[in-house]
Amino acid sequence: MGNSCGNSLAVAVISVAMLLARPAYSQGFSQIGTGQGQGNSWLTVEFPKDSPVLIVSSGLGSTTAHIQGASIALEIRTSLLLRNTGKKAIHGLTLRVDAGNFHPAAQGSVTMPSLDAQPGDTFPVRIDMELVRPFNVQRSEAPLVQVSLDCALFDDLTAYGPDKLGSKRALMVYELESRRDRHYLANLLNTGRVGELRRELDFGLGGSNLPQLAMELLRAPDRSNEAGHQHPMAVNVVAFSDSPIEAKGGTARVVGNDLEAPMVRVTNRSQRPVRSIEMGWIVRDENGRDFMAGSLPKKIVLNPVESAQMTEAGDVRFLQPGGRPLDIENLLAFVNSVEYGDGSLWIPSRADIDQATGDPVLRHALAASPEEQRLENLYRRHGMNALRIDLERTK
Amino acid sequence: MSAGGTHLSHATTETLALFSRGDLPWLERWKIRRHVRGCNTCEEEISRFRFATEELKREAAAQTLTGFEAIADWTRLEREMLGNIAVGVSAARCIDHVGRRRGVFLAKAAAVAGMLVLFVGGWFVHIPPEQNRHLLSSFRRLMGEGPAQQAGSVLRATPDGISVRAQGATLTILHPRSAVVSMSGASVMGARYVDEDSGEVTITSVYGQ
Repeated sequence: MGNSCGNSLAVAVISVAMLLARPAYSQGFSQIGTGQGQGNSWLTVEFPKDSPVLIVSSGLGSTTAHIQGASIALEIRTSLLLRNTGKKAIHGLTLRVDAGNFHPAAQGSVTMPSLDAQPGDTFPVRIDMELVRPFNVQRSEAPLVQVSLDCALFDDLTAYGPDKLGSKRALMVYELESRRDRHYLANLLNTGRVGELRRELDFGLGGSNLPQLAMELLRAPDRSNEAGHQHPMAVNVVAFSDSPIEAKGGTARVVGNDLEAPMVRVTNRSQRPVRSIEMGWIVRDENGRDFMAGSLPKKIVLNPVESAQMTEAGDVRFLQPGGRPLDIENLLAFVNSVEYGDGSLWIPSRADIDQATGDPVLRHALAASPEEQRLENLYRRHGMNALRIDLERTK
Repeated sequence: MSAGGTHLSHATTETLALFSRGDLPWLERWKIRRHVRGCNTCEEEISRFRFATEELKREAAAQTLTGFEAIADWTRLEREMLGNIAVGVSAARCIDHVGRRRGVFLAKAAAVAGMLVLFVGGWFVHIPPEQNRHLLSSFRRLMGEGPAQQAGSVLRATPDGISVRAQGATLTILHPRSAVVSMSGASVMGARYVDEDSGEVTITSVYGQ
């Protein structure tokens, strides 16, 4: 009886939803297919004519639409095959995903940070997403999702693309970290320190990785009922000896599992002006477990010997993956990258990281680049020989 | 016992009572009849018995005359019985009707209550909590309670994806459960994982306003 009533209710709701959502449904799945500049009702992939990557093929896999409460939910699973049509090897790529027809604020990106796509090579990119929109929201006839190129980084650290999302800086950091880690691992391999290499790659087990964390980024949360529970917390610093920026600690406001306005005092101890600093944040819970909260680049002009305070806006609510609030006991900050005035970047070296802490888990977290993650996965799945072959292409 | 002439011993009272009602066997009755012809005492006794019997009959007839008459008249008895049955059936129907009305009302109320419980249960089971909160906050705003809707967006990480939500619309970029989520900007949330098919590291991000 429960099922039949539930089904009747669902049928009624879906019927109403179908009527309300007719424009979305009437365009249907038959028009699946993407092309350069050729849009369809669901997805458009657009690359400029002089883009170094062009689309070879695309497909919408198990794309579905269903009713979710008073909203329509579209689950779009896209598989793109792109080709490097330029003359340089592509080492990083960011695709911008706009669902502006769904909501102006609905914007995302997909980044491939560890590519090695030589001219003519093809590589796949998967974009799986879900769009949920109330029925009563008007929509235009434009495609639901538009995918475009935001930035492509070449092996010579030059880049192509509008870079509206600040992707170039991130891709350059990934590339520098990749070179650092590949060089470090190749050196271990070439000098016969295989045991050290295995430990570095965590024996393929992944046990040294920091645990996962769930979070919410909120804007202007309502704190009227929680003023009494708010307390300041000191921010400790993991210092790198060669860093051009010295972080000197700071404070943050903590309300339960919410972190507000973390602030760190920084001083430029280099001889060069700095235009942006990326601070990494590690959260330690009441059990002493560390979680990588993230790395936040911030534009800040800092001339030599100048000091400033870096304060992050907004509010971050930390949760354990199961959804339980994570009590914040300690905060660690470290300088993850520095962008000089001329656009060049500094990242901590392996020696810096080794000297910064004796904690192997924390050290692993500080050095966990996307490329090292890829190599770990390669070692775990295909063994030392595959790793050796991959590292041999390190210049 | 002696029967017959004046000189014979008298019959017992019980025998005389039975004789007066004609309930003695034929031989006994013949002996008593012969005795009574010559015995005034027994004859008077019998007369008193008969008189008493007649009195009793008259009293009984006066009290149960209708019943006797009805018993004597089968047609009347049948009509009366049928009438009684009809009255009984009608009364039962009346009672049934009253009970049924109440039962129907209770059944309808129970059905409505059941549907309500099912609807509420189904709503809370099937509708995501954030939509419930959204509906509740919208209702409060309509009633003039609660703060006005905040502008801007909320970024959220779940085991299946990272999402940006604003005014009820949500874009979620999905990722496998192995993805590590972190902030990658003041209004940017990212998830990093290795694509199991290609072996390439993929970083997805959503952007708030």
